[in-house]
Amino acid sequence: MAKRIALAQLSSCWGCDQSLVDLHLGLLDVLPKLDIVFWPTVVDYKLADLEALPNRSVHIGMVEGSCRTKEDLHLLKVMREKCKTLVAWGSCSIFGGVQGLANQWDLKELLERKFIQAETVTDPRIPDENMPGFTEHITPNPQIVECDVLLPGCPPTSENTLDALTALLTNKPFDLPTKTVCDQCPMERKEKHIKKFKRNYEGNIEAGKCILDQGYLCLGFATMGLCGAQCPSVTTPCKGCFGPTPIMSDHGAKIISALGAVAEMEPEELKGSFPDPIGSFYFTDYAASYLSKMRGKERGQEH
Amino acid sequence: MGEEKTIRIDPVTRLEGHGALTIKLGKDNKVKDIQYNVGSTRFFEKFLTGRPMEEAPRIAPRICGICPIPHHLASVKAVEAAWDVTPPPAAVKLRRLMIEAKQLSSHAIHFYALAAPDFVFGPFADPAVRNVAAVLKHLPDVTVQAIKIMQFGQELIRDVGAKAIHPVTAIPGGMLNALTEEDRDKWLKQIPELFENVNKTVELAKTVVNAYIDVITKLAVTPTYYIGLTNNGVLDIYEGNVRVMGPDGKVVADFEPKDYTKYYGEHIPDHSYATHIYYKPAGYPDGIWRANTLARCNVAEKMATPLAQEALKEMRDLVGRPSHHTFVYHYARIVELVQAAEWIKILLEDPLIVSDDIKLTDVEPKAGDGVGIVEAPRGTLLHNYTSDEEGMLVHANLIVATNNNIAGIEKSLMTAAKQIFEDKALDSLKLPDPLVKT
Repeated sequence: MAKRIALAQLSSCWGCDQSLVDLHLGLLDVLPKLDIVFWPTVVDYKLADLEALPNRSVHIGMVEGSCRTKEDLHLLKVMREKCKTLVAWGSCSIFGGVQGLANQWDLKELLERKFIQAETVTDPRIPDENMPGFTEHITPNPQIVECDVLLPGCPPTSENTLDALTALLTNKPFDLPTKTVCDQCPMERKEKHIKKFKRNYEGNIEAGKCILDQGYLCLGFATMGLCGAQCPSVTTPCKGCFGPTPIMSDHGAKIISALGAVAEMEPEELKGSFPDPIGSFYFTDYAASYLSKMRGKERGQEH
Repeated sequence: MGEEKTIRIDPVTRLEGHGALTIKLGKDNKVKDIQYNVGSTRFFEKFLTGRPMEEAPRIAPRICGICPIPHHLASVKAVEAAWDVTPPPAAVKLRRLMIEAKQLSSHAIHFYALAAPDFVFGPFADPAVRNVAAVLKHLPDVTVQAIKIMQFGQELIRDVGAKAIHPVTAIPGGMLNALTEEDRDKWLKQIPELFENVNKTVELAKTVVNAYIDVITKLAVTPTYYIGLTNNGVLDIYEGNVRVMGPDGKVVADFEPKDYTKYYGEHIPDHSYATHIYYKPAGYPDGIWRANTLARCNVAEKMATPLAQEALKEMRDLVGRPSHHTFVYHYARIVELVQAAEWIKILLEDPLIVSDDIKLTDVEPKAGDGVGIVEAPRGTLLHNYTSDEEGMLVHANLIVATNNNIAGIEKSLMTAAKQIFEDKALDSLKLPDPLVKT
């Protein structure tokens, strides 16, 4: 018997959707097990159709993206009402995502940059007719509604999404690993003697050897190991897009303390190596960080 | 006499992004207003600032999970333009391989998963079955050929870009990851099957076009300007000049990416967060242009590859140049799909594609301003960044592909709505029997 599923996209890039589609021929096995009751990207059911379903009548709800607009907030709450098991799908959903970096600014500054100041704009105004309006800042979905399952990644790999769906379809638990990307990475690690951090265009990253050892900021050590180390495996530094492991309390704090321990550098010099600590250490999870919360509190904002 | 009413379609489905449609009808079904309401934006222009500029190519792909490769590459090209960096030729070939692979998979997903359900089941089929899951059920062979094209594109991107969605290997000065000979050989072996599936797609597209020719040539035919990249007049999605064609088919501008502010106007509507990009010298709304497949096929004199050129010729014999037929976007998509497949073959057969000489080691950041343009599947994509002496990004302007189409979509919706509500076009248009009856 197929299980009813709803897939909803809040403000996001739709990459989680593409990742599901990238199961390719695997879709032929998965789709028949699903009775899709809402998935605007693929089927023609409207928001009103979802709203009209009885509460808790959908077995699985997958929510991609984060709440940048009030319409996103509404859709998230409807999904929570209608679905028995709600999955926060992807790093946007769990942590706020890359757009969480916008929490460094007030909404007014964001709106002015986009609609008033952009050099190509010929008739500035903030659109407001039949428009939902924006949230003041991005709040991770699990802080707005209860999410039963968390599946991080930007995006989660196709295999990650299949594993989570398979667990849900067979009533098995889906737990996140405490291991890191380093634990999955095939590069050879040696004792670290980092004397300088290089920017990624400098020099050549040598294949086969730990990228962090070579003095490039590779965040595998502070990032959840679910992706199979897909970037560092091909000499590309990990940017931390799957977020911290469940046992890390703050991603940036973990990164700073670890780098302090391995870099043979004065604290000021280390600090100077990272002129953009927020973007570098909280790539997809700034909205979930203590720093972002403090900024929100300073502004006296609720989501 | 009828009553005034508002029809709201929310959300517009089989679409990537947040769109809704508002149609305001007066008495006697006169169409008073059409709004294409795009209800989300995430402010990348702002939060890209303050980052080391070489990080932009890793942030920008998150603008679109369906077309992250064009963002990755427009972004890295903007950084390189600002820092006066020219990547090695082999790196450029790898980048082109990636963007052609994306064009292939994106065009396949659009044709088969987003558009085909309307043509296979007919536009009046039950919404519950008018989707790709039903195509899978009723036409499994067609679904398998669609999936194989998509898979080819997505997995080839992964071999070059480390990730199929949000690739990471293009950096200022080149690429971080070479293509191995083993991987190259693996893909070369699959080329015959790819072309088999591409040919079947062309045949299916032609069948659909012929069956729906009355709709295609009569409904939503909307003259606009067109914008697209060409390389000396040849359709190119990675590099070249930006060309603009007027509604009468005359080329009105052909300019280098760095000069874009002279030609790009950005109208902010009161009813959409996605802005309306238009041809600035003609003003708004007269200068509304469209991008994407049909626009590229209109502005280009010819295709870059032989089979695609044959397909373009056949299309032009049927609908002319420029074609203002909105539904011909689907046909043009297939013409471009052929070019993407041929480019992939050419690149894989090029010995340089497995070269290790893919990255400069002496890139120096500096204060500068750079524009990077590529063609995303849905149109001309522009990233413009400014950096300070340390190479930190201090200013960004992004004109994403879709925004080139929003005003044009609205305009063609207005045309179609007038035909349907005022002229009762549905009573006279000839529709074929659905391929599959449900």
